[in-house]
Amino acid sequence: MKIKTDSYMFEMIRTELTDAVGDANVDVKFADKFGHSIDYYWIPEMWHDRGKPCPQADFIVHPGSTEEVSKVMKIANQYKIPVVPWGGGSGSQGGALPVYGGIVLDMKRMNRFYGVDRESYTVRCQTGIIARHLEWNCNKEGFSTMHLPASIACATIGGFLAHRGTGVLSTKYGKIEDMVMSLEVVTPTGEIIRTLPVPRHASGPDLTMLFLGSEGTLGVITEVTLKVHPQPEAREFRAYIFKDFHTAMQAGATLMRSRLGPCAMRLYDETETKTHVSKVFGIDLDKGAYLVFGFDGRKDIVANQMKYAREIMERQFKGKDLGSKGGEWWWENKYKFFYPGYMFHVPQAFGTLDTVADFAHIEKVYWAMKNVVNKEFPDARFIGHFSHWYEWGCMLYARFIFPGDKVPPNEREAAALYNAVWDKAIRAAIANGGVINEHHGVGLKLGRYVKDLYGSAMPVLEGLKKQLDPNGIMNPGKLGFAGC
Amino acid sequence: MNIDKFEEAIMNCRFCFMCRHLSAIGNVRFTEVDTPRVRAAMLYGLRTGTNSFDDADFVEALYRQDLSGCCVHHCVNHYDENGLALAARADVVEAGKAPEAVKKLAAKFVKSVGWKAEGPSSAKATEGKNSDVAWFLDETTASDKAAVAAAKKLFAAAKVSPKVITGGSIGKALKVIGYLPEAKAAAEKFAAFLKAEGVKTLVVSNPAALSALKQDYAEFGVKLSCSVVSFANFVLGAKVKFSKSAGEVYAIPGDFMRNYLGCDCQERLLKALKAVNKQFGTNDEETYNCGEGAVVLDKLHPELVKALAEYVAARADDPKKDRLVVNSVYAKRALVKYGKLNAVTVDELAASCL
Repeated sequence: MKIKTDSYMFEMIRTELTDAVGDANVDVKFADKFGHSIDYYWIPEMWHDRGKPCPQADFIVHPGSTEEVSKVMKIANQYKIPVVPWGGGSGSQGGALPVYGGIVLDMKRMNRFYGVDRESYTVRCQTGIIARHLEWNCNKEGFSTMHLPASIACATIGGFLAHRGTGVLSTKYGKIEDMVMSLEVVTPTGEIIRTLPVPRHASGPDLTMLFLGSEGTLGVITEVTLKVHPQPEAREFRAYIFKDFHTAMQAGATLMRSRLGPCAMRLYDETETKTHVSKVFGIDLDKGAYLVFGFDGRKDIVANQMKYAREIMERQFKGKDLGSKGGEWWWENKYKFFYPGYMFHVPQAFGTLDTVADFAHIEKVYWAMKNVVNKEFPDARFIGHFSHWYEWGCMLYARFIFPGDKVPPNEREAAALYNAVWDKAIRAAIANGGVINEHHGVGLKLGRYVKDLYGSAMPVLEGLKKQLDPNGIMNPGKLGFAGC
Repeated sequence: MNIDKFEEAIMNCRFCFMCRHLSAIGNVRFTEVDTPRVRAAMLYGLRTGTNSFDDADFVEALYRQDLSGCCVHHCVNHYDENGLALAARADVVEAGKAPEAVKKLAAKFVKSVGWKAEGPSSAKATEGKNSDVAWFLDETTASDKAAVAAAKKLFAAAKVSPKVITGGSIGKALKVIGYLPEAKAAAEKFAAFLKAEGVKTLVVSNPAALSALKQDYAEFGVKLSCSVVSFANFVLGAKVKFSKSAGEVYAIPGDFMRNYLGCDCQERLLKALKAVNKQFGTNDEETYNCGEGAVVLDKLHPELVKALAEYVAARADDPKKDRLVVNSVYAKRALVKYGKLNAVTVDELAASCL
């Protein structure tokens, strides 16, 4: 919906919204709406770069409490206005873009930190808190969420919950969905509900999991209780160079199968090692594939874990040891990869073909995507690393990059080229046993593949959406659901 | 346009979120427009016609910035989004689109340009040989009796009787609000004044004034006939003896001293005072100076300074008891007035240890 801003209807709705959250918390100025029209998705970035205005919300609303969220949802239902929850706006999938106008519900005013429960090792907070601020608060009390993604400086906890985010220590501490105890949610019709207080139970299906990853399409997550961990006594890293990516993958998979339990592991293919890792670390890694892993916890246990891991890397797979220093390079620079100059940038066209698969399929997925990008899009470069490792498989952080001069000057042609890469690469991944995706979410970008992914289960998902959101106002056009 | 000198910041900051957590105004207004990302994107939009200085809200956002420099300090590339914002303000002024409140403030500062020097014409210098020392007692510092008394006590302990220079704008505030020709004219006049007074060493209490003299004047091509030292460096150089230890304090890094000037003299002075520094709040990345870098934020947006001070107060371990040590009278005033905190300048702390 787009409401004419000079209409009396606009003023009627604005009045109701200001009644709900206060006059200072409803923005209708162009400058404010502009700020919420671009996220980290390449398409709106490119659109803006080419001087094209991006779709804007009619109202930016900053609720300060769960009750205020509820009031806003009831107003939105009354007038059937789209509502798009917005955290930090750093999503790469267009999940928070107000493509149909309406209300952007900027959650950052809901940033309360309620402190660490020192008996249960949990923390409760509102979901608008910026992840870095939450982590700082926990650190001050001697704890950590252990959720340390590259977007920690900007994303809110709500954003991570909404799309199932992952941090760099996921291999030991899990993805965000593994960290959640319980949620408070405002449903699309404005009811306030709480999920069960603990995540392990046999009291029916898990409603917490229903809302995690729902990307604002099934409700607004307003409060969360998360697990926290005491800061470890020791955290050590070690890195190796393997002759090729295949050998490194075998070494990594063997380490995971050993159940030694690393806290993190990364494997960069030969191209990314040479072009990217070398640049970020400021050293020359000309040949081979870089693999880094680490352990944390009690010092004596970490030392033993590292000893056995080294045997795997060195004796079994003949990795060239870069030592603990080679591992520390990665830990110290783990966010540097995402700053301009190290990350790709418009006018380049680039995307992260985030895919996850088990060890039996992950290399096939890598090669299927790489081959299709190389064959169909010779102007594009394909690089990949394997970011998040689990007992059964890992996540492939594959990326394609077109140099700026190979991106069509016409924005529609540029968008078409971009989408074509996704179509080919993602379908190749799905056909080879991959799942889109591990932690970036679906949003606007990947919505069209959700039916392929879910198959005959899609009506179940659509039925849940219909039941919770009868007017279809929650973040329309995202996660493969209908627009409005 | 002035912003064209900051091409790197425009092109890179516009799609970058890596310093969002440090956006002081964004963190109290909960907005996107008050972040380096959106400001840079809007400034890029001037080129394509998506955005315009005709949009008073955009211009207002540019004048709402805290200019702490934390984003520049934090960024691995040190892209100068602060410099970009200052250049944008200059472009706003050149385009005749400055808000009325800014115009009035500029007129007041232009009118204030002028100084007088009082006191002995010769004094013992701090850096090597004897020469004439003057103390620039700017308007902000002069408004704080305790800070002035502390400075005088420290001069006495250093056995230095400086000329005291008082007066109006030396150009910093004018530069910060985008009036570059007026700022440069003030700088030229002040440089000429110092030369005429025969000042060889100028001791400066206010970090904003220090930044003007050390950084802005060089940018304007205005050469000074004297050396310029911060008050902390003066005290350290004079080898003042302290009879008491400062004890436990929460030292707040300064916007100008840390982020603009990269100067650790105040940390070194704290060390000389045997201060036991405790981490204030949860981190040392954010600014807790309530718009010190923006120099006149308290005049343009006192409601924001109040919000910033309340944000700081909410992070104190014990707001009534904690001893906060700040770099400037500006920060002290904001934290005491709005945050109800117990804040002193580092110079005051030093004087209390004599």
